[in-house]
Amino acid sequence: MKHPRGRYRLLSAFLFVTLTANFLMAQKVREGSVPEGQQMVPTGKGDAITVAAEPADANAVGQAVVTGNGINYHGGPVMKGTVPIFIIWYGNWNGTGSNTANTRSVIEHYVATLGNSAPMLIDSTYGDNTGNVSGNVSFGGSIIVSSSTNLTDTSLRSTVGNAIAGGKLPNNPNGLYFVLSSSNINETSGFCTQYCGFHTHATLSGSDIKYAFVGNVDRCQSGCEIQTTGPNSAAVGQGGIDGMANVMFHEASEAISDPDLNAWFDTSGQENGDKCNFNFGATSNCNSNGLCTSAGTSTKARFNQTFGSHDYMLQQNWENKNGGACVLHL
Amino acid sequence: MPIRFLQCVCAVLFAAALCVSAQEPVKPPLNPRVITATKQVTIFSGLERQMLQAVQKKDKAALAAMLQDDCTIELPDADPLAGDEWMDSVMAQDYSLKSFVVRQMSVADLGNAVVVKFDRIQDAAAKSGSDSGEFFVVDLWKKNGDAWKLANRYVAKVSSVPWMPGSSPTPTGKQ
Repeated sequence: MKHPRGRYRLLSAFLFVTLTANFLMAQKVREGSVPEGQQMVPTGKGDAITVAAEPADANAVGQAVVTGNGINYHGGPVMKGTVPIFIIWYGNWNGTGSNTANTRSVIEHYVATLGNSAPMLIDSTYGDNTGNVSGNVSFGGSIIVSSSTNLTDTSLRSTVGNAIAGGKLPNNPNGLYFVLSSSNINETSGFCTQYCGFHTHATLSGSDIKYAFVGNVDRCQSGCEIQTTGPNSAAVGQGGIDGMANVMFHEASEAISDPDLNAWFDTSGQENGDKCNFNFGATSNCNSNGLCTSAGTSTKARFNQTFGSHDYMLQQNWENKNGGACVLHL
Repeated sequence: MPIRFLQCVCAVLFAAALCVSAQEPVKPPLNPRVITATKQVTIFSGLERQMLQAVQKKDKAALAAMLQDDCTIELPDADPLAGDEWMDSVMAQDYSLKSFVVRQMSVADLGNAVVVKFDRIQDAAAKSGSDSGEFFVVDLWKKNGDAWKLANRYVAKVSSVPWMPGSSPTPTGKQ
């Protein structure tokens, strides 16, 4: 028979373990109930409102930083120099509709000619303490990841990480990686219901990698396309190319001016692209003498930018000068 | 006797721990990222803010214009309210909506109807006491001509503690 003191010790130990377990579980529940903003600063899923509480650090303002234009600098870096853009074509890009080799070709040409274009140069009004964004980007290469599996935020990150770790794409912390999914693929964290795309960053293969997701917006034309046939559509009703080009411009502009989510955003947490989301400014209509496809011409699709021998319909971007405004060019 | 008491306490705590562990909802972590909102999210974020601003300003006409005639509002621990009754309650002088945040919105597009889900955080006071906190709201909006009108609202309270972004920025001493 054990001595009662031994039983006390045993029970005390058990009580301690049980209470500790209860305490830890309570902490876990509580973690989920804390407003995201207090943990997600400077941004949170689905709304960058969470960053609003963070004030601009006025002393961080250097010569390359201009303030007072409706968007604030928060001390983080911007992406300077020529930013290479890498593309991961995820899903089935040899399929039907706008999930085709033609779409890949047009989008890659678009990226290759986006650098120093009028819309991209708007980003050159943003800077950090060591210099400004150049407004130049280049096409850094692409790979195809064939899959029929939907993406999650975790598998999206793995997709980028695997491409870099496997040597299929270079490890470049000064680059921007786009994962473009075909229209049969869902990104289950809110593609088409919350968002058309997003950008973020993560440490992958030891580098701070900036990456973005943009799905083929033909999956949800009413949510993510301004017109169902665009100036580059291969067929009427296939607005995927132009819709994706628009979202890619939005994400590239934001990722370059706020790559680590701690540089440029306004008091409500909106980055430059957010402030002009689906705001296209003055537009023209495709006509038979222009650069539009036959589908775009037949439907008189609208466009507002021309570069690289193509017309595009790209949202305006917020210029960090002249008091700030949504503009098509500087 | 004390040993039995301790045994009972341990058993109860152990059972509670198992129960809590089993019932805890799986909540995926929120990943830091900045999104390009869909057109519908952009539109209905604006409409939801308009409604809340109408409540703030006690603008009953503006609020009424956004509700369907047969609108119903379902609040936690309460019978469903007709739209008129709900309007009367939030238009009452003893109800005060001081500030609010709409976030985490998603919209399911059903054609002439949409289901809008979002989190609303508010700092508000009613005659019966504080109406502050975080709320999970599901709204059914229906298209009426060219206008969207609220047909049904379902509200669940997530937390009683209000948190207002930007209300208390961390001072740096450098402003």
